[in-house]
Parts: sequence; C-alpha cells; structure tokens
Amino acid sequence: MDDFHTSQPIFVQIRQRLIEMILRRQVEEGDALPSVRQIAADLSVNPLTVTKAFEALVDIGVVEKRRGLGMFVTTGARAGLLAHEREKFLKEEWPRIAAQIKALDLDIKDLAAASTQQGEQTK
Amino acid sequence: MTDLSVSAGPIVSARGLSKSFGRKQILHNLDFDIPAGRIYGLIGHNGAGKTTTLNAMLGLTSYEGTIRVLGEDPFARRAQLMENVAFISDVASLPRFLRVRELFALLTNIHPNFSQEKARQFLEGTDIRPEMKIRTLSKGMIAQLHLAVVMAIDAKLLVLDEPTLGLDITYRKRFYRRLLEDYMTEERTLVITTHQVDEIEFMLSDIMFIRDGSLILHMQMETVSEKFTQLVANEPETQAQARALNPVYEETRFGQTVFIFDGVARETLAPLGRLSTPTISDLFVALMQRPTANPERAR
Repeated sequence: MDDFHTSQPIFVQIRQRLIEMILRRQVEEGDALPSVRQIAADLSVNPLTVTKAFEALVDIGVVEKRRGLGMFVTTGARAGLLAHEREKFLKEEWPRIAAQIKALDLDIKDLAAASTQQGEQTK
Repeated sequence: MTDLSVSAGPIVSARGLSKSFGRKQILHNLDFDIPAGRIYGLIGHNGAGKTTTLNAMLGLTSYEGTIRVLGEDPFARRAQLMENVAFISDVASLPRFLRVRELFALLTNIHPNFSQEKARQFLEGTDIRPEMKIRTLSKGMIAQLHLAVVMAIDAKLLVLDEPTLGLDITYRKRFYRRLLEDYMTEERTLVITTHQVDEIEFMLSDIMFIRDGSLILHMQMETVSEKFTQLVANEPETQAQARALNPVYEETRFGQTVFIFDGVARETLAPLGRLSTPTISDLFVALMQRPTANPERAR
C-alpha cells in the first residue's frame, strides 16, 4: 500500500501533498492540478477523500474549481499558503517541537549549530 | 460542491434479510442501506455470509425478509435489474471456447447497456487481442478481460466478489487503478469483498463486517477513525491504565502492546502512548473476537 501513516486522516495527507506541490512550484499559479480521478487512481484512495482534500483548499482560497475543467491554483495562492502554513506550524506544530527541545535540554546554540550543519549539507 | 445530491434513495436496501440452507441459518436479519456513489467493503471470514448477501442482492438466491436493488426485488426482477447491475465473482467464468471478439458480439446481443467500443478501449494496453481464444488466456489476462467487460456495461451497481483472487500484486494494483480511473463516478456504486482488504482500505468509503451471518459493523470510514483508536503502550503502568478503559482488543506484538478502543476520547488516551486509527484488518480481528464471537472462530 501507499505510505499513508494511519495517524492522520488521508484527506489531510492528500491536502498536504497538494500544498507541497504548490509551495514547491510543481504546479504554478493559474495551472490545473491533477484531477480527482487521477489522484484517486494514483493513490488507490476513494474519490470522495480526494474531493474533500480539494475542498479544504478551495475554502482557504488556494484552489478554485472551474466548471468542466477541473481544479486550478489561484493567483496569489503561494503567498497565501505560505502565510497559512506558517501560522499553522507556529500554532499546531511548534508547541510540540518546543516541548521536545525542552525535554531534550537543547539550547539555541545546539539548534543553530545543527541547522548550520544541515544547511551546508543540503543547499 | 460534490455532486452527491442524487437523492434517489439507496441503491441497495435490505430489511430483515435472512437465509437458511436446511436447518443452518446463514444470514440473520440483516438491515442495511447502501447509498449511491459509495465504495463498500464487505468483510468477513470464509463462510460468514458475504457471498450469500451478494447473491441475494444479485437475485441469485431466494431469501426471507426484503431486499431492494434500485428499488426492485432482485429475485423477482432479475433480468430487468441486470441492465443496471454488473458483477464479477470468483466463480464466474467466461465461455472459454469463444474468441474475445465473439464474446463481445454475444454480449452486445444479450446486454442492452454493453458497449463493445468501450470494452475494446479498455483492452488497449493489455496483451489481449480480439482474435484470441479465451481458453488460451492466462489467469491475469482473464481477469483483465472480465474487468473490461464489466466496465463496458453502463451499470449503476457493480458487485465484485473477490475480484482479484489468485492474481499477483501487479495485476491487483492495475485492476483497482483501472476501476478508479475509468469507472467510478458519483452515480455508480461499488460493493467489494476481498481478503486483501489492506490493499483497498483507502479506496473504501464504507465498511460492513459480517460475522456468522450477522452484520456486526456498518460504518463510514470517516466515522471509523473517529470512533476507534489504536494505542501502543509500552510501560506496565500505562498498560494498566489502558486496560481500565475497557479496550475491545489487546495484543502484544514484538514487545509492544497494542490496544484498540471503541468510543474512548483520544484526549483520554493520548497520555498513555502512541495513537493511530486501526487498519481495517486490525479492526476486523479485534471485533471478530468480541465476547459474543463464536468460540471456534476465535484465534
């Protein structure tokens, strides 16, 4: 099966993949996203699940449905997404990460050193 | 947003559906509705009554109680219903002495909603050629042909009884991919039974568990993830706390203790360990072992 870990609903995971596609510019603003049918077939998931993921993106104005044509990335979607994802990260994920940092007794110097090191390796 | 407003009532509706063979009762009073646009997984042990339920839906067996498919009694009006119902069963066979094109010609004659053109399209990209005799096809090719035939029927209900039995993983994946890509729409409804439930878990919108002829779970997949929680707890204290919350299932695997809870809030469980939604197969094993289970079935 696919790499869906069962701790998160699948539509959330699909939504996240779509967001990543947009953030990484795999799909540009104004371009069409893959169809519900295609994603459902690619991932062996229920089409309703895919529709739900799209709807979540329509709700935040990142994606628009064009009748008969499919789903498109809106203009300004990237900027909007970045703001949305940043806020979500700080609100939902950061507290948990911060707690872990605290539990592991890491300080800002360790983290800075680690991220510099990582930066050199990747970019 | 979604065009699910096809409010024409359920595709399949059963009330007090029962079936006995001699003195042995196979189905006990099943009540269920299957709405349009869903993909249903019907799950149960061998002999639990899955195929009997499907056969009742298809009008292939008599029964007590009522069942309506597209508003009709399938046993009384089987011929009419078959225009809108298609099925693949693990025992169904295609006439082996025919060539593929002869099969298509035959179906065009007997089935008003069969499109020869569509069937040919579905065979593009396979190794099956119209001139081939069905007898010479491999098992995987026969399954492909079968699927092509069934998908070329413009049906509202497609029933798949172990459609991928005996096929290797590549064929199985292709089979389901095809279904999702070329067949499934909001107006169509799929009912699938399979032992390889993990492969189709995320395709399903709803599941029904049948145990010893009774429907023990009928639920939307979304509700499953709200209602059931799996917990992995590794410390004796957290395990004791977990047990106090009445798990429906507990198992120790590879040094980890896994619990499954029914209707216990995730916030209550979160401090005890790692939480997730159980897979359908884990949930199936758990619910098959609930106390009322027939002891000879418990493992």
